[in-house]
Amino acid sequence: MLQIEQNNLLIQKTLNERVFPDGEGHKSLDRIITDFDFTTYHISTLPDQKQLILVSIYLKCWDDLVKYGVVEYLNGKYAKYADVLSVLSSKDIESSYNYSLVLDLSQLESKDDEYKTEVIDSLSFLKRHAMAAPFEQAFARYDELAKTYANANTYSEEVQAELQNEKVLVIKYRGSDECIYIKPSFDRVTVIFSTMFQDETDKIFGKVFLQEFVDARKRSVQTAPQVLYSHKEAPLDIQNVVQGSKDDENKGYVTFVLFPRHLVKGDRRDNCISHIQFFRNYFHYHIKCSKAYMHSRMRFRVKEFLKILNRAKPENLDDEGKAIENRKTASGRRFDSGRA
Amino acid sequence: MASMGTPAVVMDNGTGLTKLGFAGNDSPSFVFPTAISTLSASSKTRAGGRASNLSSKRGLEDLDFFIGDEALDAANGPNYGLSYPIKHGQIEDWDHMERFWESSIFKYLRCEPEDHYFLLTEPPLNPPENRESTAEIMFESFNCAGLYIAVQAVLALAASWTSPKVQDRSLSGTVIDSGDGVTHVIPVAEGYVIGTAIKNIPLAGRDITLFIQSLLRDRGEADTSLQTAEKIKQQFCYVCPDIVQEFNKFDQYPTEKFAQYIVEYTERKAKVDVGYERFLAPEIFFNPEICSSDYLTPLPTVVDQVIQSSPIDVRKKLYKNIVLSGGSTMFKDFGKRLQRDLKGIVNERVQRSERLSGVQSSGVEVQVISHKKQRYAVWFGGSLLAQTAEFKSYCYTKSDYDELGPGIVRNFSLFSVP
Repeated sequence: MLQIEQNNLLIQKTLNERVFPDGEGHKSLDRIITDFDFTTYHISTLPDQKQLILVSIYLKCWDDLVKYGVVEYLNGKYAKYADVLSVLSSKDIESSYNYSLVLDLSQLESKDDEYKTEVIDSLSFLKRHAMAAPFEQAFARYDELAKTYANANTYSEEVQAELQNEKVLVIKYRGSDECIYIKPSFDRVTVIFSTMFQDETDKIFGKVFLQEFVDARKRSVQTAPQVLYSHKEAPLDIQNVVQGSKDDENKGYVTFVLFPRHLVKGDRRDNCISHIQFFRNYFHYHIKCSKAYMHSRMRFRVKEFLKILNRAKPENLDDEGKAIENRKTASGRRFDSGRA
Repeated sequence: MASMGTPAVVMDNGTGLTKLGFAGNDSPSFVFPTAISTLSASSKTRAGGRASNLSSKRGLEDLDFFIGDEALDAANGPNYGLSYPIKHGQIEDWDHMERFWESSIFKYLRCEPEDHYFLLTEPPLNPPENRESTAEIMFESFNCAGLYIAVQAVLALAASWTSPKVQDRSLSGTVIDSGDGVTHVIPVAEGYVIGTAIKNIPLAGRDITLFIQSLLRDRGEADTSLQTAEKIKQQFCYVCPDIVQEFNKFDQYPTEKFAQYIVEYTERKAKVDVGYERFLAPEIFFNPEICSSDYLTPLPTVVDQVIQSSPIDVRKKLYKNIVLSGGSTMFKDFGKRLQRDLKGIVNERVQRSERLSGVQSSGVEVQVISHKKQRYAVWFGGSLLAQTAEFKSYCYTKSDYDELGPGIVRNFSLFSVP
């Protein structure tokens, strides 16, 4: 329970039940599944053709993602499974959803179990893949810049100015108040999250947490990306693109600076994308967990205090209010004055 | 409001099983045991305190736990201890329950509670303090957008609206809720539970399974494990109209009536004959004396007693709308038999009163409603109500809670009938 998985467990479970059926034939299916950040999936069987499963996703920030080539990216990701999984063209997409795929069970049946599991897993990563598109694009731009400036004097003013004007990718993943800003450069990629706290207590927990994040690098994990935290004020990199309420008390900015070692192509880059796009959920999840922990400590403390209070209760009293303690029998046993 | 588009989360935490899902779906997304396994005390000491910074001063024990089926698996190994935070329908261990919810929301349902409304359920006669504690956790730990706590019996009534037999969608009726541990008979009038008239029957799913197991053992079958008995219960059992006739039928048509259940092991198969327990097992509801020696009142009599102890002006409605809920009411013809037996009792009383008073009675209609969603009726009723447009107006929101404190959840406005 330390971490939350990247993939959606429920999609995995629903499709698994379908792909590896339990004796029963194809029944119709109509399910709504949600994910973090207002993501909604709809898994349903097509009318009349129960072997075809339609998987649709709605993302709040889809319009932003489209700008950064999410459709092409997803098409590329799912092209591998083209014989069982067809991506619907833009006019066929289920209404009020952003992206639809159709899984053909009759085709999938003949494949081996390993392949089936792979297809299901890749579908359960649908949101991760969609959110990864802008990161991929920013990282590609970084590759480009790194090549261009490999031998240039990057301290010269022209180059610096040019880099300053590099386009910032903005993803409004939870409406205009909470965004991800990605700014590629030749030797780093800066990812900035703006996050809002609904609750006063959360804000304080959040501050402590983020301070820990900032400090962590100083101590043991030197290879971690640099983390900066600023409250209220947007970092300089993105000041000209920040939208929404400017100086809100509840707003915080978290900056991650990813260095070339995080951006090594292949698994490490994928891993980096998976983790960083999940930052907000992870962060808020842990704030809540710590609150739960605090509550359990409080309950424990109350129980302890009650024990002490109970100890302080006067024992058996006689009519004048004096404790009856010294009345003993010859053998040393006490009288029990009725109260157990 | 940010949470307009997101479906409400419906959580039904029962003693045995927890049902989780989103409003609008026709069945719960997750059904797993309400169990949590945490690090047991003996293994806690191993965390060493070498570093001096804050984060390493305390370990991550509070995040090291499993819930549901994973909890059962983890408890088989070393280090973990299993516990069930809900006892007799009521939450006993709030620490564990808070973490159970934490995991259900984030790991299984994957939703940010700030964006969703929640519908939770509670048993009838749940003390208001428990409601307040629930609200404290939901609002203070999770900051959930809105909360509604509904009584399970009322949701079960709402679930029966899917049955074609129900003409008027009222929230009056008698709910027979039979799960694994205990069977409740709960009268509900206009959405309010009549607390004084509730009756419990200490016979439920587990007793049926044990009864089948004992019958199998008596016959010396090849496999008499609890799982086999459970499977036989689910696959073969039905309710018969009359025991004696049913025995005769078994004698006359043995090939049709006797069945065989095949237990599959990894290396071999065992055949278990299934005989009279097919109809005898569910019969313990109607003739408890065949299985228990200390509880002898049949279910139809209990239902009649419950309705008779309810206020007189709602009794007709209670007889007319008897709703089944829970896995142990799933036996074939359970509803029919209950309706017939109950009708017998009621008609007898009506005749007697007619004879004594000499006035013609207008008659009492008895109707038992069984429907397709019976097994997870409570959850389904919750899903049905939580997907309506008005649902959110019945909820208390986070700002209401902040303004007025946990006391607000003592009263929820009832769902007006759409």
